[in-house]
Amino acid sequence: MSTAVNQAMVEKYKGNFLKEVTENVEEGNWVKMCMQCGVCSGSCPLGPHWDHPPQEIFMMIRANKREEVLSSTSMWMCTSCYNCIARCPRGLPITHIMHGLAHYSKRIGLKPKNQPTEKFGQMFWDNLTKKGRVNELKLGLGLYFKDGFAEGVKVAMSKQKLGMNMMKAKRMSPMEMLGGHGVSDLAGFHAMLKKAEELEAARVGENTDKK
Amino acid sequence: MKIGGYLCTGCGIGDRLDTKSLETVAVREGRIGFCKTHDFLCSQAGVDMINADLAAEGDDKVTKLVIMACSRRAKTEAFNFGAVPTARVNLREGVIWIRPEGSEHEETTQEMAADYIRMGCAEVKAMHQADASGEQGKNNHIMIVGGGVTGMTAALEASKAGYYASIIEKSDRLGGVMGQLHKRHPLRSPYQHPQDTGVAAMIAAVEADDKITVYLNSKVASTSGAPGRFNVTIASSVGAGTQAEFGAIVQATGFTPYDANNLPEFSYGKSANVVTQLELEAMAQAAGDGAIKRADGKEVKNVVFVQCAGQRSEKEGHLSWCSGHCCSTSVKQAMYFKDSNPEIETTILFDDLRTPGAGGENFYRSAQDKMVTFRKGKVSTVEAAGSDLKVNFKDLILNEDTHMEADLVVLATGMMPNAGVNIDAPKDDAANGEVKVPVESILNLQYRQGPDVPQLVNGFADSHFICFPYETRRTGIYTAGPVRRPMDGGQAQTDAMGAVMKAIQAIENSAIGRAAHPRSGDLSFPSFRKEGCTQCKRCTVECPFGAINEDEKGYPQYNEARCRRCGTCMGACPVQVISFKNYSIETVGAQLKAVEVPDEYSEKPRILVLACENDAYPALDMAAMKRNESSAFIRVIPVRCLGSTNTIWIKDALGSGYDGVVMMGCKKGVDYQCHFVKGSEMAHVRMAKIGDTLSTMNLESERVAVHEVAITDIDRAPKLLDEMVEVINRVGMSPFKF
Amino acid sequence: MTAVVATNQTIIVVGGGISGMTAALEAAETGKQVILLEKRPYLGGRVTQLYKYFPKMCHPTCGQEINQRRIKMNKNLTVITQAEVSNISGGKGDYTVSVTLTPRYVNSNCTACGDCAKAATTEFDDEFNYNLGKRKGVYLPNAMAFPQQYVIDARLIGTPEADAAKAACKYGAIDLDEKEETIELKAGAVVFATGWKPYDANKIQPYGYDRFANVINNVEFERLMDPHGPTGGKLLRPSDGKEAKNIAFIQCAGSRDRNYLKHCSRFCCMASLKQTQYVTEKYGTDGKSTIYYIDIRSIDRFEDFYRNVQADPSVSFIKSKVAKVEQDKDGNPVLHGVNTEGYHRYANTHDLVVLATGMEPSVDFKGLPIKIAVNEEGFIEHDEANGGIFAAGVAADAMDVNRAVQHATAAALRAVQVVNQVAGA
Repeated sequence: MSTAVNQAMVEKYKGNFLKEVTENVEEGNWVKMCMQCGVCSGSCPLGPHWDHPPQEIFMMIRANKREEVLSSTSMWMCTSCYNCIARCPRGLPITHIMHGLAHYSKRIGLKPKNQPTEKFGQMFWDNLTKKGRVNELKLGLGLYFKDGFAEGVKVAMSKQKLGMNMMKAKRMSPMEMLGGHGVSDLAGFHAMLKKAEELEAARVGENTDKK
Repeated sequence: MKIGGYLCTGCGIGDRLDTKSLETVAVREGRIGFCKTHDFLCSQAGVDMINADLAAEGDDKVTKLVIMACSRRAKTEAFNFGAVPTARVNLREGVIWIRPEGSEHEETTQEMAADYIRMGCAEVKAMHQADASGEQGKNNHIMIVGGGVTGMTAALEASKAGYYASIIEKSDRLGGVMGQLHKRHPLRSPYQHPQDTGVAAMIAAVEADDKITVYLNSKVASTSGAPGRFNVTIASSVGAGTQAEFGAIVQATGFTPYDANNLPEFSYGKSANVVTQLELEAMAQAAGDGAIKRADGKEVKNVVFVQCAGQRSEKEGHLSWCSGHCCSTSVKQAMYFKDSNPEIETTILFDDLRTPGAGGENFYRSAQDKMVTFRKGKVSTVEAAGSDLKVNFKDLILNEDTHMEADLVVLATGMMPNAGVNIDAPKDDAANGEVKVPVESILNLQYRQGPDVPQLVNGFADSHFICFPYETRRTGIYTAGPVRRPMDGGQAQTDAMGAVMKAIQAIENSAIGRAAHPRSGDLSFPSFRKEGCTQCKRCTVECPFGAINEDEKGYPQYNEARCRRCGTCMGACPVQVISFKNYSIETVGAQLKAVEVPDEYSEKPRILVLACENDAYPALDMAAMKRNESSAFIRVIPVRCLGSTNTIWIKDALGSGYDGVVMMGCKKGVDYQCHFVKGSEMAHVRMAKIGDTLSTMNLESERVAVHEVAITDIDRAPKLLDEMVEVINRVGMSPFKF
Repeated sequence: MTAVVATNQTIIVVGGGISGMTAALEAAETGKQVILLEKRPYLGGRVTQLYKYFPKMCHPTCGQEINQRRIKMNKNLTVITQAEVSNISGGKGDYTVSVTLTPRYVNSNCTACGDCAKAATTEFDDEFNYNLGKRKGVYLPNAMAFPQQYVIDARLIGTPEADAAKAACKYGAIDLDEKEETIELKAGAVVFATGWKPYDANKIQPYGYDRFANVINNVEFERLMDPHGPTGGKLLRPSDGKEAKNIAFIQCAGSRDRNYLKHCSRFCCMASLKQTQYVTEKYGTDGKSTIYYIDIRSIDRFEDFYRNVQADPSVSFIKSKVAKVEQDKDGNPVLHGVNTEGYHRYANTHDLVVLATGMEPSVDFKGLPIKIAVNEEGFIEHDEANGGIFAAGVAADAMDVNRAVQHATAAALRAVQVVNQVAGA
């Protein structure tokens, strides 16, 4: 589906990426208001680890660097510290825009490959939606072993103490391995998620259909 | 004639000086009528005492005053006796506050005070009551040259104030550049959308106003006279000319758009789809609120604005300045497109986006909200490929050379002032092989100094002063709008009001013979003794305000209402025939001669200090307020401007035994600070020639020093005087003591 | 105080800074009766606290001297200091203005001899130097102060020191019993030339103006250069008195920012460009200035000045809104941010940081007893509905001195139009 959506978007916006972002990305209608002061870029605690800081991303959007932006790892690095929002002189909800861009890139299939945050996000979602509650043990182990068995054992060993403490504090139970806890109306929960997905697909579809 | 002397003993003067002996000096040596003392002369009682003497009858009536108290800058209101010639002898800031206490200093301090009293008495004797010349006229009619929005605003506002206005417009219609615009920038909060220019309504108001006369197809063929009595010949290209009299002039001649043909790199002239901002206005006007179409009839879908096209650039043929309005203009024009169809792509390529103030920033934000794209980029070329265009530029944020496609490119070119003839331009331009198109004069002033108002920089007829933006150096003639400085329409309209204010002021003051700023209210004016005049024309050449004409025989003709009373003419005159009633070769000459010069072996040199009354004298004054010590050998005379310094004073001083002369004037050169423009510079030039005099007298050249002194030179100014004391210690006392 | 004669042909100008002085003088020199009200004890306003003007690098006190002389010589113009408007009623051509006068405790007998100050000892923060230095409680506000009369700080009243000052005066100039009073004046037109105040930089938390001694604002920096200023004209930084040779200028400190002032204050780019030249004036090539900016707005012929500063090897420009300022162990401010031209991250250490704080109107016009049009930014807008009330200079918009004077001259005309109409001219 995602490639098709991507194609449809490319077709629809014909090189006007700013417009595409404005109309499709959560809070994307704010991107046009950036005046390139760079205070967000300088305020980001993880800034040095990004390909492109927010202000540069916003410039790249105007410069129609669609592929580069959407496949960038940058948006995935946001930790939601809100420094940028607090300082932005134009009031841009930068944190939300970054998350919006990340989500959009995933939706249309341009997300970066092997981006840990993205991987973790997916894992978290899958874990959560299964039972309606997060299964810490499975999520933790899944995360440890995401880069293969040997690496997983190594990480698990190093985190041993943390795991023991969590068990002592009753924050995690080894019994969780066997199914684990969930919401009482699991069927209702899944129905709800399905409906939400339908609504979202319809919204995206509607937008791609519109000429 | 009776001269009254009034010696204040307050503020420590009585404690520090032997005032009894000073009274004797005043009466016996100064030979004035009497000298009264008062322990608080500036008090009501003290002033009443003086007023009573001025009001007395018969032989008791006092007609001139010597106030022996504080600096002329202190208690000015209390000691303001109108036109009565008054000498202020500065015993407080000039003597006791700069001299240390102690018996070893008493003698020299007392001598200083006595000299200043002798000087004051001598000065006042040479002064006469100033009154208006009688040549003044009053005319409530303002000539406004230029019928654009600036000129029309000026006319309407003058009328509102009760004055008459005539607009002289060279074209066949009113409205100027603003009249060619589709819309203008918003003038009111929230500053979001372009608004109607209002030009049509303004033209209607002008035409309906019975205090306003409009001359279309007309130019100013000749302007003579002075404020209050300008005599103007208005030439018409379609009919007979007219003669008219005006009280003052506002020059609102606007600007000429920069010729984009100088920008082949942007394919201007090569592609019909590369246009200037003004050309886009015509396209927008033609479109109304519909789709803007190119010359080939195609609707514009993708427009790129190139900011700073041919301006803010040091390239040959480009404009170095920023025209101020063009960022906002492009913002406005991008909105023309966006407001008619949001699908049209509009990109503004800028280096610095200059949308200042409350209005500017809101307008910028509003454009962003309308999806106008802003990119910080420097455009190198615009390529025309068929009917489409490729804009090559460097994106300064993404740091890459890139390009954009466009079907229309708008160049934000600059404004060039219509200021007429640059009267200060070097005459021999033709010598370097350049063929220049002769510039037509705007005002055709029949002034010795040239036909138009002086220009400041880049051809704009602006003031040189931050504090005084309407200083045009031609009294009664004020420039407004883009001829004065690059500006947008809103600013030009405010500017028109400022210029009208000054024009009205010139009308009112010229009617009663009062000087304009900076010597506002001064009634004195220069006159000359014809028998002595050699028709050398130095005065007419050097007058910074173009106030003096020459008659057919080459004698100077003073135009009181044009004159600013600086005295540069007086300083220039080689035969010393020019004087003001209350300021003359005599008033200063008599002062310096009144000083008692001790003999060569006294070890008491005498140093004459001529200090500009606006900057150097206040600096010395404030140094005294800080109790900065100065030499007891200086004798300071304030002058209206160092330009009024006649070399005869220096010769007289050196000839009568002074050991040194220090002159303190304002900064000269490009960023001159002299409020009479060239006074300080002229003084420097004249003093450079004094070397000959010194060598004929066999005196060392260091004995005369000219310094630039700023009002803030509180610590430096006294040090400069100390330096002269050291010079004299080194080269020895003058041999010319009698 | 002496009775002031005012009629409905009188123009009242509120605010005695350069705009107010200009509006008052231009009208008075045209023959109109003008009353100039100033809340401080002296005229001149903020320009008297500047060292130099751009672009000529000339001294504001020079023009101030001329304007003061014009005022001294003009009998149409009445100056009332320590006066604030407390009420306005009526309409165009017929206003009644209530003016509250706070006591100076020194009358016009004062000769400025300074004997009273010699008798005083207690020191207070010197507001003329933005509290960077001290002054006595009996003082002449500045060297150019006009009226040239001493002032007694109200906090001294009732102390033996005030009595000692009074005893020291030989001219009966000190009146410790002066009380606040309110007078009523008629006027045909009222011009507000109430000027601006620097935006309160304490609100810009990331820049640490409230925490770091070596972060100052642009008006304070002017005082450091002034030979009459708290450092005697030396560029010494506040924390340790060390010479400040490496100075950062942060543009738009408060301006163009929804969190603080939405508008561009217009003058601050030129002010910082000018101030880099102070550093060059002091230290030549040993000095170093860095301007952190979003857009350099050196409009019209100021562009020449910008070009000259760009050519100064000791000045560099970084296109960046600084993210935050920290302080290292030696008290040096460290600036963090990103140079957006090509994305370069920096952590730059300077001796001193100067915040180019913007201007906001010094008066809340929305709180006036009479309703006038005020825009979102708090400036007075010209509107027919304002009747005979006009703004001059920075009361109308953020602008530099030259434009303010030009604007004030225009405002004088508006006022003259009203009183001329009243006079039936």
